[in-house]
Amino acid sequence: MADPGTDVHAFAPDRFIEEVHSFEFWFQAVEGYLSETRYGRRPETPDVRLDDAERDRLVTVLCNYCVGETAALEGASGLVAIAPNRLTKIFLSTQVVDEGRHLEVLLHRLGDLGVASPEAEIEKRASRSLLAFKKRLLDLVAGKDWEAAIFAQNVILEALEFTVFQAHAETADPVTRDVLLGIVKDERRHIGFGENELGRRLKTSPTTRVRLGAIQRELDPLVLAACDETLAQLGTPRSERPEVGRSYLAAVERLGFA
Amino acid sequence: MADFLSAYSIQYWLESCPQGYLDGTEYGHAPGEKEPDPFVSDPMLRERAIQSTVQLVVGERCALAASSGLINAAPDEASKRYLATQTLDEARHVEIFTQRLYDLGVPKSDLESVIREHANPNLVKFAEVLLEKVDRKDFVAGVVGQNIVLEGMAFTVFEMMHAMNQKVNKKFAHTLSGTIADERRHVGFGENRIGSLIQQHPEKKPEIERMQRDMSYFMLATFADAFRKAPSEEERARIRAELGERGDVEWQGKSLASVDPSEIEALLADTVLKEFKLRLGRVGIEYQSPVRP
Repeated sequence: MADPGTDVHAFAPDRFIEEVHSFEFWFQAVEGYLSETRYGRRPETPDVRLDDAERDRLVTVLCNYCVGETAALEGASGLVAIAPNRLTKIFLSTQVVDEGRHLEVLLHRLGDLGVASPEAEIEKRASRSLLAFKKRLLDLVAGKDWEAAIFAQNVILEALEFTVFQAHAETADPVTRDVLLGIVKDERRHIGFGENELGRRLKTSPTTRVRLGAIQRELDPLVLAACDETLAQLGTPRSERPEVGRSYLAAVERLGFA
Repeated sequence: MADFLSAYSIQYWLESCPQGYLDGTEYGHAPGEKEPDPFVSDPMLRERAIQSTVQLVVGERCALAASSGLINAAPDEASKRYLATQTLDEARHVEIFTQRLYDLGVPKSDLESVIREHANPNLVKFAEVLLEKVDRKDFVAGVVGQNIVLEGMAFTVFEMMHAMNQKVNKKFAHTLSGTIADERRHVGFGENRIGSLIQQHPEKKPEIERMQRDMSYFMLATFADAFRKAPSEEERARIRAELGERGDVEWQGKSLASVDPSEIEALLADTVLKEFKLRLGRVGIEYQSPVRP
């Protein structure tokens, strides 16, 4: 049975939010899985040599992950300014540093793979769909549309990253796998925040659901196209790609948006 | 630039801050440490502690808004990632100083009204000057305002408060020592990153110097207000007697218990302004003396 003194899920709603949106909670959470890693890699994880074609495909994929994480970093930092209260501002600050860390570990992995100028490489290899998604997300943030922006960032983008990174980790080389699984652990926290923040609003406002549904219909084609491009680079057979797309849609649906 | 920024990576921050000097702490102090009795039971000391802590919360909320707002204005990835760590540092400061208000007995439901009641209007104006630059995505002015002026002021104020609390309130002194370590990193980034940008954009100097002069004015006005509201000599004597030797602290070569509040105000202002001159000079900005409020 859960201990009501220490198990956050046993707390009353106000105390639960106060607890899980705090720096202290973040600090305890990441301590468990980051303390033994450097740039997301565990010290005992072996390097596996990739052939030139594999390496090139991985570089393209990682460059696109960097585009997604840059969007997430810029989105989350912009959201701090429009967050409705202190606790959401503090939670988003933990998300800002998580997104910055994701970007850093991915850039570091590109460096490991011999990419001398990651920023130039990212510009060269970035998916148009992902760039279009990033622009739309940052427009929502700049327009100070809290509900739409948190939906695009903490539900759509995070669900996309969660689905793709998990699928990729299953077949990735060991170092990339470490990096991706560390990121996925953070994404769970971010998705939980989006679900909690929007879930309460959806219960009381039917118009919010309609509005967010329209945004999802606008963003889904971009997300699914980016997902398909990444899977193609990873060598996923065409017949299996819709399955990952469906996993993304199912993840969004599980969060109460469909 | 890339080499200098590698010292401000998130990996470095994780190892030195959460896994370094914050390891084993709870809201910035050792687990179980409490506000000592006189700060909770003596109405005058408690009220003073609440007033000063509110100013810290106001300053840190401004720093949080500024550092997160500057991420989207940063011209390179490495600066964005550094500012991500600063954003979380500032959020942590908001959290630990807010927690101190709760520890001093402020009910959670009254938090915002207590902050509104005690926030110094001049400190609010100080923040507005900076946030206007951040809203305009002016990275160079924003970083000078945030990482040199605001952080420079916070650094010295925290050091003075740390000296004042070291013997009498170990819990709060511990909380402050973590924030001082953070501020040192923030000031370092400001000095290192901005120098080259000022050289690239010399046309921005006059506007930045005006901002520094305005922020310095509101800072001095905040200090003047705070020390004007100091307790009477009689009250101070009572507190000195209650705290005994623990209240006898030295800062910048002066015994703070035995000097008049106006002398402490002058000492604090002079220390901060001297630091401003030094740090601004290092990045190529000429310090502008504000009108004394």
